[in-house]
Amino acid sequence: MDTRETSFALCETVGVSGDETETIKTVSKMLEEYCAEVNVSEGGVTGWLREYDSSLPKLVLDAHIDQIGMIVNYITEEGFVKFSAVGGIDRRLLPAQPVVIHGKKKIKGVICSVPPHLTNSDSKVTEIDSLSIDTGLTADELKKNVSLGDRISFDVKCRELLNSRVTGGAMDDRCGIVAILRTLELLKDRELKYNVIAVFSCQEEIGERGAKVLACEISPDTAIAVDVTFGYTQGENRKKCGILGQGAMIGISPSLSRNISEELINIAKSENIPCQVEVMEGLTSTNADRYSVNQDGVDTCTVSIPLRSMHTPVEVIDLNDIEYTASLLAEFAAK
Amino acid sequence: MKELFKELCESRGVSGDEQNVRSVIEQNITGFCESYTDKVGNLICFKRGKQQGKSLMVCAHMDEVGFIVTYINDDGTLCFGAVGGVDPCVVIGRQVRVGKNLIYGVVSSPAVHNLSAQQRESSPKFDDLCIDIGADSKEEAEKHVSLGDCVYFQSDFTQLGERRVKSKAIDDRAGCAVMVELMKQELEYDTFFVFTVREEIGLRGAGVATHAIKPDFAIVLEATTAGDIEGVTGHRRVCELGKGPVVGFMDRSTMYDRELYNLAFETARENNIPCQTKTMIAGGNDAGIIHTTGTGVRTIAVSVPCRYLHSASCLIDYSDFENVYRLTKLLIKRIPEL
Repeated sequence: MDTRETSFALCETVGVSGDETETIKTVSKMLEEYCAEVNVSEGGVTGWLREYDSSLPKLVLDAHIDQIGMIVNYITEEGFVKFSAVGGIDRRLLPAQPVVIHGKKKIKGVICSVPPHLTNSDSKVTEIDSLSIDTGLTADELKKNVSLGDRISFDVKCRELLNSRVTGGAMDDRCGIVAILRTLELLKDRELKYNVIAVFSCQEEIGERGAKVLACEISPDTAIAVDVTFGYTQGENRKKCGILGQGAMIGISPSLSRNISEELINIAKSENIPCQVEVMEGLTSTNADRYSVNQDGVDTCTVSIPLRSMHTPVEVIDLNDIEYTASLLAEFAAK
Repeated sequence: MKELFKELCESRGVSGDEQNVRSVIEQNITGFCESYTDKVGNLICFKRGKQQGKSLMVCAHMDEVGFIVTYINDDGTLCFGAVGGVDPCVVIGRQVRVGKNLIYGVVSSPAVHNLSAQQRESSPKFDDLCIDIGADSKEEAEKHVSLGDCVYFQSDFTQLGERRVKSKAIDDRAGCAVMVELMKQELEYDTFFVFTVREEIGLRGAGVATHAIKPDFAIVLEATTAGDIEGVTGHRRVCELGKGPVVGFMDRSTMYDRELYNLAFETARENNIPCQTKTMIAGGNDAGIIHTTGTGVRTIAVSVPCRYLHSASCLIDYSDFENVYRLTKLLIKRIPEL
């Protein structure tokens, strides 16, 4: 698998929380290449690497399939589109940002930016309620293709930066999906300790809702949430960030299974796989929080890819971290 | 004219670094006029008409707002400053192109999750932003970037609906495109066409050109701020898309010539060209330096109304752009007869 190509293909397929249909279609096709069985259900896509073996425990490798974005809640008489946030958006970067409205057709537009002569000098960030989207269309033209409730995404292409760094608008958490697909590829001819189940869950960004119902559906024994975490850059706190290119961050937290964390760390050491440790004080703000308390409880851990500028159209990751994550997960699942 | 307009918008020329734009223009005007480039970089063109009237200079600026690399951090990220008036809110979270090799970069800032409530509510400052090009160290970044390198917005020229286009640098490649098209036509009177430099950093090029030409009259072709967005009403809209060229009576830099102002509206009316004025005293352009150069030059500006000026997503109505061309074409015949 070419991780760059797969990341770009997934990143440029849009799936804002609650409307993941397009991404599910793309991901299902990719999963079919590696899996014995692929199912689409309420919470997302599930891929069973091999036929179920009742003598082995069930391991879920989860990455969320949705991305942050916006949602149409009103169209003005003049044809401006009013919107709300879906997930945690940085409002500071919205003015003049190019977007796509995912209606019956994809409609391109620009978020209005208030010109300087109309702004106060207090430099306060504009409330989303005061912003709207300019599509160049009249209200009547818009209503043919756009309905209230349609999702909106940033209009951005993936780009290669120097080295193995890349930028895209939905690396959170498409890079996690790529890492899991790559894990499945690595496990192709390996003997397994688990029934390996890839889970690509919906609606993480609005409260880990897909993972909650999928956990109940699958009843895993062990679950690893493969998500992103803060990558260190200017202005970030070094103590709370991972370094890009130095491997996946293995989570340690009171809400996670200490045994799994230690097993992952030991595997990384013995197999010489670069990794970092991410210590959290309580919950993890990932799907792990849903798996750990599912039904009778699940041994859960997080494995996170460091990412800069999280929840912006210019998220940056290092492709090597995808490879390191996949190697780690594959060694964990194999005998 | 639309093809050339697109090509010009996609050309890169931050103030002081206009050579790429200039060469695109030169390729397009060859054979239509005499031209030379002056010391500061203005492209000065002269086209003979059927006759000689009072001397008229038409101008548009080639430069666009952008950024310049001011420092390279130890971690390989780039510090940068704005060239021209740019709101940091339209810079954070964008893709940019850096330096002569146009490598990709992104304008990054700490994740929103890690900002204090107060930071989330305040506009970012350029000092808090940096450009991430994927380099891991200062040494590595220095292989690709030098201090003083220009940084440009990455933006696709995009058609929005039937009538509108979105791009970076519409200010003032719209004016440049109109001028090139005018120069291809047969003219009644001798006319100077000047593609100026360094407008965005304080009208630093146009004065030099005006001093050389010493015209009686000047027409500045521009793109000007339209505030006709949702939630803005009345005079605060300043001007509106689709309502024709904008001819102002006064802005922050100029009190425009009243006779020329009236002539523009009269000409528009007689020829069924929509035309509007600005309803707030805002903005400024090369007219500010032109009308006070030498012993004074009688000046007006004819502008395309443009939303989200000075961002990577300038947005105009194509009909306004065409009407700026139509109106200016008529004015360059009438003004030399005054």
